[in-house]
Amino acid sequence: MTMSAPIPFTVIGGFLGAGKTTLLNRLLSASTERCAVLVNDFGEINIDAALIQSHDGTTMSLTNGCVCCSIGTGFLDTLARLLDDIGRFDRVVIEASGVGDPWRIAEIALVEPSLRLDGVVVLADATRIATQCEDRHIGETVRNQFAKSDVVLLSKCDLASDSQREAACAVIGAIRPDVPIEPLSTLTPAHEAVFGRGRLARFRAEPVAETVDHEGGFRRWTYQRAGRFDRDRLAAAVHDLPGQLLRLKGICRVDGDDRAQVFQLVSRNWSLTPAGDATLDVAETIALAGVGTANLPSDHELDAILDRALTAAA
Amino acid sequence: MSPDTVVYAARRIVTMNPSRPFATHVAVREGRIVAAGSEAEIAQFVPHGGIDMRFRDKVLLPGFVEGHSHIMEGMMWSLPYVGAFERRSPEGRAVAGVPDIDAIVARLREAEAAIADPNATLFAWGFDPLHIGGEKLTREALDRVSTTRPIMVLHASFHISVVNTLVLERTQLLHATDISGVVAGADGRASGELQGIAARLRAFRLVGNPLSELLTMADVQRYASSACVQGVTTITDLHNDLTDNTLELYRAATQQAEFGVRLVPALASATHPPDKAIEKIVGLRESGNDKLHYGIVKLVVDGSIQGFTARLRWPGYHNGAPNGLWYIAPEELPRLVDLYHRAGIQLHIHTNGDEATELALDAVEKAQTAHPRPDHRHTLQHCQMADAAQFRRMKALGMCVNLFANHVFYWGDSHYELTMGPERANRLDATGTAQRIGVPFSIHSDAPVTPLSPLFTAWCAVNRVSSSGRKLGAETEALSVEQALNAITIGAAYTLNLDHLIGSIETDKYADFAVLEQDPLTVAPETLKDVAVWGTVVGGVVKEAPRA
Repeated sequence: MTMSAPIPFTVIGGFLGAGKTTLLNRLLSASTERCAVLVNDFGEINIDAALIQSHDGTTMSLTNGCVCCSIGTGFLDTLARLLDDIGRFDRVVIEASGVGDPWRIAEIALVEPSLRLDGVVVLADATRIATQCEDRHIGETVRNQFAKSDVVLLSKCDLASDSQREAACAVIGAIRPDVPIEPLSTLTPAHEAVFGRGRLARFRAEPVAETVDHEGGFRRWTYQRAGRFDRDRLAAAVHDLPGQLLRLKGICRVDGDDRAQVFQLVSRNWSLTPAGDATLDVAETIALAGVGTANLPSDHELDAILDRALTAAA
Repeated sequence: MSPDTVVYAARRIVTMNPSRPFATHVAVREGRIVAAGSEAEIAQFVPHGGIDMRFRDKVLLPGFVEGHSHIMEGMMWSLPYVGAFERRSPEGRAVAGVPDIDAIVARLREAEAAIADPNATLFAWGFDPLHIGGEKLTREALDRVSTTRPIMVLHASFHISVVNTLVLERTQLLHATDISGVVAGADGRASGELQGIAARLRAFRLVGNPLSELLTMADVQRYASSACVQGVTTITDLHNDLTDNTLELYRAATQQAEFGVRLVPALASATHPPDKAIEKIVGLRESGNDKLHYGIVKLVVDGSIQGFTARLRWPGYHNGAPNGLWYIAPEELPRLVDLYHRAGIQLHIHTNGDEATELALDAVEKAQTAHPRPDHRHTLQHCQMADAAQFRRMKALGMCVNLFANHVFYWGDSHYELTMGPERANRLDATGTAQRIGVPFSIHSDAPVTPLSPLFTAWCAVNRVSSSGRKLGAETEALSVEQALNAITIGAAYTLNLDHLIGSIETDKYADFAVLEQDPLTVAPETLKDVAVWGTVVGGVVKEAPRA
């Protein structure tokens, strides 16, 4: 076997009914890459019939080069066969079982030289996740699924009340204060929501086209400036940000440090860590992307709060 | 009187038919029992008193029914066995246990020397550290066997593998102890023990996976041979994806006149969407024959108690370990149970922990309420931690239970000290409670997890003693020998919905006998496991067990 670049490997986790299969279907239908999708359950994926080239019961081949198989109990065997033939694919996506721990599957990419871990994406049903996390029978199972996730995507936000969404963010934030929680919207291309989400994957803070996501009941906000923050004034400004802001993440500079910093804020907890990625050192900019509930104050008000943290030179 | 009739005389025939419990003679025609009784009653079925005297010194029982075992038992015997306790091979050889690391190394060296190809992997099976005082098998021990040939030893549970340093180097796992399944040794590097998906997948990719080799006719024949050695005439294969290859092998094997066991395979529900599984089972029912009985489905709700993956109710694991894993989501279980129940399929539901048992009971109650179905006989498999209230619910719901009596011997000490603590360990696999409450029940080996041997399983249920000699519920949960023999014959037949065909020696049933050298009802109960099996009769075909 020739040594080629490792193939990105993404795990989609989440409890039964969180919307994993729906998301996979969106990914497969729109894929421009040759994806191998393995479903660790007996769930059938409903792909647009026009896309299906062949279907032999367990393996479905799509006209866009993707392949989707359900693996039932033969998980190790099916995966071994896929790895033997990995050169055919640009990407591997695994849908973890609804009661499984997605990290246990993600570790495959850490031991297989032909793979690299692209990210662990865990879905949560916004209407039910708070209840599920407290459930006598399944609480631990559900909570453990978030333990090593890179991002949590909240599904069914359009069906959830404001209080359900807030409870969802609070309960997940309590388990993983550091993990980004994002509404899953059909307006966002599925591959953007799912791929490149790992801590080792490069962070992107592009401006978001739509600022109001009506379907999800969430509002986005992007903050972009040339210059740097003053560390102390940033601390004060973050404290002043409204509670409706659920998450803020991006790249910035702080005075007295030449390295780019990753800024993360989730549920009132925030952190600055050196980005450690040389390609981020090209420009002297601040680029943060936030998500809040629908009643998030205006961009203007939010911009003003963070502007107070900029150094005088900016 | 028919010329085809054979009358066998025996020292004693224990029929397990309460209306005629004992006999000395049995008449057999066309593979079925014409009648059992005294010489005076039965001699009339053959002309001129031509009685077959070959069993005159033997004791006949109904052929034993193993209600929970796996075809893997037939597959494993192509590999060396390195468990701590003696086990009998399909050739009838008593394979001694290897009770410490040095003995394991010696056994592996012997096997290593016998493999001609220097690059071929040496596989072995049956190891469990809990049976050798908690001592772990490490790569250093396996390196004493070979540093140039890959070696992999499978745990008794089949969920853990131990490999030598060569395998760790080739898989680059030697330093990968940050992976959760790569267990670290004292030096901080991998100890050789590999658990979980990622580590085992990587190792299997290098050396191959002996558990996923395509089933062969030799495996099926070994399974039948093991059955004969143990007096078993009906055996389950209780969790199988039933691929075309397997179906064809089972069909071909069971159509051979000399194939010496009846097979009862269960479709593993996790391998098919429920609608496809139902379609498959309904189709397969018609494709069976006298020795091949399809029609049941297996659901696995939780893991194992000694692996800390069983789901327990309050107060959980005795040593404080976190609660176990669901293999079927609690909210999915009622839906699956309902679908199979409505389709008229009998469910065999694996529940080890009492929380899993509770959810299975809830699911059956819901299905039975929505769609009452008389005599469904849905059976809880293992069901090791159920309390009396749960047994009463089984009774009320028309359910059966198949209890894992061998656990008392093999893991009873671990359950007492680590997993369940004193009270719950004493009512582990509560055969006495099942008997008192009147839940139809059976007892089983789960072979190859523990050895296939219904007489040993019965001994466990009668004596309730652990491998260290600790008595567990011996005063309260033990069975009488007669009750235990019932559980491994007609009791097991009932849980498989085959009690009209097998499980007792009476008119019209298949002529399936276990042929024994001693009478299990007269030997000391402590020696029940030592009653020697001469062989079997299956459908009137006499099979002397191989002896090696």
